[in-house]
Amino acid sequence: MALLEIKNLHASVAGKEILKGITLALEPGEVHAIMGPNGTGKSTLSNVIAGREGYEVTKGEVYLDGKDVLDMAADERARAGIFLAFQYPVEIPGVTTSAFLKTALNAKRRAAGQPEIDAMDFLKLVKAKTAVLGMPYDMIKRPLNVGFSGGEKKRAEVLQMTMLEPRVAILDETDSGLDIDALKVVSEGVNSLRSPERAFLVITHYQRLLDYIVPDHVHVLANGRIAASGGKELALELEAEGYAKYLNTAA
Amino acid sequence: MKPSLIIDHSFGEAYAKRLGVAPWRGNLPGPKLEEWRFTPLRSLAKIAFTPATDDVSVDAVPRAVPLIAGAVRLVLVNGAYRKDLSSADPGKGVELSHGKVAAKDGSSLVALNAAYAPSSLALHVAGAAKKIVHIVSISAAGSEPTALHPRITVTAEAGSSVTLVESHVGLPGETYFSNPVASITVGEGATVRRYVSVDEDSAAFHLATSLVKVAGGGTYEAFHLGLGGALTRQEIRVALTGENANVRLNGAYALSGASHHDFTTVMDHIVPNCASSQVFKGVVDGESHGVYQGRIHVARDAQKTDARQVHKALFLARGPAIDCKPELEIYADDVQCAHGAATGEIDPDHLFYLAARGIDAETARSLLVEGFLADAVNEISAEPVREQFAADIARWLKARQ
Ligand SMILES: Nc1ncnc2c1ncn2[C@@H]1O[C@H](COP(=O)(O)OP(=O)(O)O)[C@@H](O)[C@H]1O
Ligand SMILES: [Mg+2]
Repeated sequence: MALLEIKNLHASVAGKEILKGITLALEPGEVHAIMGPNGTGKSTLSNVIAGREGYEVTKGEVYLDGKDVLDMAADERARAGIFLAFQYPVEIPGVTTSAFLKTALNAKRRAAGQPEIDAMDFLKLVKAKTAVLGMPYDMIKRPLNVGFSGGEKKRAEVLQMTMLEPRVAILDETDSGLDIDALKVVSEGVNSLRSPERAFLVITHYQRLLDYIVPDHVHVLANGRIAASGGKELALELEAEGYAKYLNTAA
Repeated sequence: MKPSLIIDHSFGEAYAKRLGVAPWRGNLPGPKLEEWRFTPLRSLAKIAFTPATDDVSVDAVPRAVPLIAGAVRLVLVNGAYRKDLSSADPGKGVELSHGKVAAKDGSSLVALNAAYAPSSLALHVAGAAKKIVHIVSISAAGSEPTALHPRITVTAEAGSSVTLVESHVGLPGETYFSNPVASITVGEGATVRRYVSVDEDSAAFHLATSLVKVAGGGTYEAFHLGLGGALTRQEIRVALTGENANVRLNGAYALSGASHHDFTTVMDHIVPNCASSQVFKGVVDGESHGVYQGRIHVARDAQKTDARQVHKALFLARGPAIDCKPELEIYADDVQCAHGAATGEIDPDHLFYLAARGIDAETARSLLVEGFLADAVNEISAEPVREQFAADIARWLKARQ
């Protein structure tokens, strides 16, 4: 059974159909990349899977481990193991990164029937994870994402992912706004989580990220549909030739 | 002649007779007084209050009153000092005395307090006070609606410093009306930090007046928290009387049900080169009503004044109302004055972000409310107090779920 199964998914925003029948199956251990031009529905797909309000699913199904995801509220989906690394993480003044991380971690632990994390263990965990991502440990004292640079925000997303250890991680253009060094660090963070029990959906605009996070499958999303699928060589081809051919076919 | 401000009240002859003192001849502030426009006292005036007597049996401080680490406790019950419930020694640098309250001019509530306050709890601060002084004012109504008039006087001598916490709490029972007055004098170069928490019974009235004078080079840092009661007003009047005085006056309120809370501040810049800042934040739920009136007065001589104030409120429901009225009266020309006001609701994008991390909606809302109030609460420089007040807010949030 696929870990994440998306079947003929149709979704509209503000009455306009954006996703027009997406079918995808992520097997445990796999990394799938989705590439496509701007405005084609990549973030819409990730938001629909994560359960954001304002998106109407008009047709199709999404299953996590065989469980119907579309029936669950966003927080339930997250506790069930879906993680979305946001393209544009929001700034939340007044809420420290540390309070937020601890609350999120404990929500997951409670759902799994585990006790809340001990304060010392929490600090140790954050220390270890921030070190891996080359982040100053002190940053957890700052309000969540407030005043973080673009790159810091993306690292913070990956930090959250490595702490929450999801079953399925969706990375929505996590590479945008990163310089090459940050890109490497973030990719290492992602790669360190790759495991036979976990799957990734890596959304990107550029092939560059896929040099570091090597995908098993690459899909082209154009006009709300998967226009082509292939191996990692498809990403190279897209880099060289662009998306024009897929847009034309779809039109 | 002022317009008719009179409303009926029960603080005349009969009230005075029960206390065996001369009666107060004033009137409660009425709705035609501009300063009281948003906080009408109609419901208060309908109740016949009797004086709180000290024979109410209160033999312990309510457990809800926090123990603040490293603080000495001074306990008032119905405004009267209770040595048996207080720490033996107010700590190095602080001297305690009890005096008659002098009847002075002031608002009608201050005069009412002066007429009927049992005695004043007076703190005299010389040098650096070692310990936080925690004043616990307990309202204990008898079998009838009860009024009490606590009076606190703090005199910080030149160069001295002290940190005060005031907890105003009520015992459940009949309704009561607490009318506390605090007079604070900050001497030259002295520092007074004062943190006030008002967490009265849900049927209670609390109309507090703080009269603060800050001399040259003095610092007054205050934070006022309002968490309930039927009707609460915290009026804080600060006069900066000497150059280079610095005032940081901040506060937060969190209201549910039909609670009404009013912060009225008057910041009076009289001399040059002083600074004042105010950050007030409120969260309103249910059918509650929040008021912030902030007047900044800068006299013609008070050049180089730096005065700021901001009030922000967050609606947790459609039922509450907020009245916000900044007033800048500036007669000097070389000053920096700024005020800001905003109201809003919880941002759905914030909620989704937290949900996407597995945080349930109620916890997410609590986290966001605490975050919203944080930039006011974080102004509290005394760490144990900051933590305590944050915990009080968290408790309020839990209770509302
Ligand atoms: N909340 C929204 N309201 C209205 N239109 C939206 C909203 N979100 C996305 N869209 C529209 O949906 C289309 C796909 O957007 P998006 O999924 O963000 O594309 P991508 O991530 O591939 O760049 C765009 O035309 C965009 O304008
Ligand atoms: Mg996008």
